Amino acid sequence: MKTVICPECEAQITLEAGAEVGEIVVCPDCGVDLEVTALDPAAVQLAPMEQEDWGE
Amino acid sequence: MNEFETLTGLLWRYSPSGREREAVKWLTARMASLGYDAFIDEAGNAVGVMGRGPKQVVLLGHIDTVEGEIKVEQAGNLLYGRGSVDAKGPLACFVDAAARVGAVDGWQFVVIGAVEEERNSDGARFAADRYQPNFAIIGEPNQWDRIALGYKGSAWATVTLRREQTHTASGSQTAAEAAVDAWLQIKSFVDAFNADKQTLFGKLLPTLRGMESGQDGFAQWARLTVGVRLPLEVSPDEWYSNLKALLNASDDDGVQVEPAGFPVPAWRGEKNNRLVRAFLSGIRSQGGEPRFVYKTGTADVNIVAPVWQCPAVVYGPGDSALDHTPHEHIDLEDYRRAVNVLAAALSALTD
Repeated sequence: MKTVICPECEAQITLEAGAEVGEIVVCPDCGVDLEVTALDPAAVQLAPMEQEDWGE
Repeated sequence: MNEFETLTGLLWRYSPSGREREAVKWLTARMASLGYDAFIDEAGNAVGVMGRGPKQVVLLGHIDTVEGEIKVEQAGNLLYGRGSVDAKGPLACFVDAAARVGAVDGWQFVVIGAVEEERNSDGARFAADRYQPNFAIIGEPNQWDRIALGYKGSAWATVTLRREQTHTASGSQTAAEAAVDAWLQIKSFVDAFNADKQTLFGKLLPTLRGMESGQDGFAQWARLTVGVRLPLEVSPDEWYSNLKALLNASDDDGVQVEPAGFPVPAWRGEKNNRLVRAFLSGIRSQGGEPRFVYKTGTADVNIVAPVWQCPAVVYGPGDSALDHTPHEHIDLEDYRRAVNVLAAALSALTD
């Protein structure tokens, strides 16, 4: 079991067995999107910001 | 080897839509020199295939630009030239990154320099029916550390209103006045639709692109050209239906709504798939903090993604605020980083 701490609410989150680097997971406590940035040891960061922009 | 040779070679060959041939021929030769099986397809696109495996990554860029040649010159780390951002920068990035990765067992990378993107996307429409990729990467400038996951749809229409000729003292509404009313009705409808939408990506964004009117001894007419950027929840057909209903369009009532150009639906990609993960890791490997972006414009992804039905992203170096401007330029360090990101992503994807 790989566990990480949500950087937003500090909840302990257990990653699923097949988790991959780059995967977006949702914190079950606060609902924020998190990006799995490493697996050994496991680490998460807040998922990429979503922006809007004009342009073709 | 000059690491910017693909980029500068493309910029030297000015290629506005409809006049891409010289650039296409050069890029095909350039790709062949880098180890691709390269050819010009029936639509006039430059195509390079790296590897012979059954699984396919299509990297679709465009080789045409808007009109307006800009002298190709370097000032410090900035390279000026028409298309440096939109979108020869992203296309050259695709060519250089896939060449760096090289042939991978079981896979093929198909890099396409499509023609006519700035007009009717003829090159992408041709490609849409000829490939069935596992992953698609579309080339547009979004900065080296951002991944575009959404482009709005687009639909154009002409609205024509006709009235019998009347005396100017009669007080009857003229066709031109009716056209103004029609535009205000459209604006009112859109304002109501947008009222609870939190993002530009979710809104209808209409623009009045033209007005004209005329008359003879018996009749008068007025015509509006109306463009709209569409959210996911409104397809082009739904937009046209809304317009017709809103304006009570029928030949009997003297109001016609006619679709124009090539309408395309909005597109939004998934962010939790192997392709996006590969890019996130690639951007972080270059010291970047990845971001997702949703665009209010349209791109070739709107055409190919509904057909290919595979994971897709839009990626490429350059600041899209410089699109179509006389100051178009690209930061070569950003270009270098983007090649590194894409090469890392392609390697991870095919590992």
